[in-house]
Amino acid sequence: MYTVNTSSEAVADSSANETHLDIEALFRAHYGRVARIIARVVGDRARSEDLAVEVFLKLWRNHKAQSENVEGWLYRVAVRAGLDELRRQTRRGHYERMLAWVQTRLPAATPEDIHSVSQKQARVRSVLSVLEPRQAQFLVLRSQEFTYQEVASILNMNPASIGTLVSRAEESFRKEYIKRYGQE
Amino acid sequence: MDKNSETRHHRWVDESLAILNPGDEWHPDVSDGLLRLKQSQVRGTWFSKRWVFAATGAVVVCLCLMVLHSPKVLVHRCLECSVAVWQSLLPSAPAQANLKPPSGRTLAPDFNLKYANGRDVKLTDLKGKAVLGNFWATWCEGCQVEIPWFVEFQKEYQARGLVVIGISMDDDGWKSVRPWLKEKNVNYPIVIGNERLGKQYGLDGMPLTALVDREGRIADVHPGLVDKAATQQKIRALLQESFKDSAN
Repeated sequence: MYTVNTSSEAVADSSANETHLDIEALFRAHYGRVARIIARVVGDRARSEDLAVEVFLKLWRNHKAQSENVEGWLYRVAVRAGLDELRRQTRRGHYERMLAWVQTRLPAATPEDIHSVSQKQARVRSVLSVLEPRQAQFLVLRSQEFTYQEVASILNMNPASIGTLVSRAEESFRKEYIKRYGQE
Repeated sequence: MDKNSETRHHRWVDESLAILNPGDEWHPDVSDGLLRLKQSQVRGTWFSKRWVFAATGAVVVCLCLMVLHSPKVLVHRCLECSVAVWQSLLPSAPAQANLKPPSGRTLAPDFNLKYANGRDVKLTDLKGKAVLGNFWATWCEGCQVEIPWFVEFQKEYQARGLVVIGISMDDDGWKSVRPWLKEKNVNYPIVIGNERLGKQYGLDGMPLTALVDREGRIADVHPGLVDKAATQQKIRALLQESFKDSAN
């Protein structure tokens, strides 16, 4: 069970001026989950591991982040990193398709491909990439089985309003999906 | 939207997002990740150390500038400019010839020193001339600032009876002064002084400039860097006054 706690054991020693962070302990405790959250969004395991390491590197460089809700900061930045990467991939895919059309070498999709799970995953990711960042963050964190309380803590929001906001995000997701791919 | 359809939609979204699960069999490699993090940290530390390297480099360049000859000239020029600016900023007291009155002057301690060519020079031999004796050293920064002024004075007032003598107080004498003279364009004679002579003129620190009238008496002693305009006024007054004395 994930807990958002500023007095984590990983924060070994804190003083008025400086917080000494045991980055290794924090890494061992959260790396797996951080990488899985990113992988959920990005879909590429190797790339997710790279991005997860970058998230911890950001934490190590960011002294301000070390003095606040460290775990919350980690997951917030992880989701954001995943969504940023997803948008990059979407843009890249768009240009590649354009290039393929020019080259008339577009690989033909098989019926199996069309109906495969990966096709559905691509659609879900495509919709996530165009949603408002905050709504996409709600959905990714919820899908990773964070409680409303934890989502609120990660995103620095009032826990009382999370339920409503998540519902709105789900509705936006559904509408965007239907707009793009029709009712299933 | 009724409650049922809301629940249905909620479940549909949950199921849609659930298929993004990267797979329960996948466990990110913590050891490999940690290794890469540490490598990145080392690179990151090096980046911050770059500033230290840059600062060290700047210090080394500054030291080189101070040690090498041509930058040394530049430093002297800068120092000279700073002195000129500082003097111009000081309350503008009109340059006055504050020489001792002739009646209150004492005989200047005589000296018998040698020019670079080995020829003797005695103060008493210079009677009838106004003498500007400047105690200096090759290592003295302030001296390097005022020496060009004395070169100007020598050039301008030589014909009217001024003799400028540079009395070097370098410990190793001509060994330091000869190479220095080769580099500088000094138009007045240089001699090597000694501690006893320095004491007689009240030398505590470099530089010190003494003005001796045509009668061989001390008209003014100025410890430290001189004020160019004030010294020029003193020289003019001394030359004029001496002419009167000579006429008497």
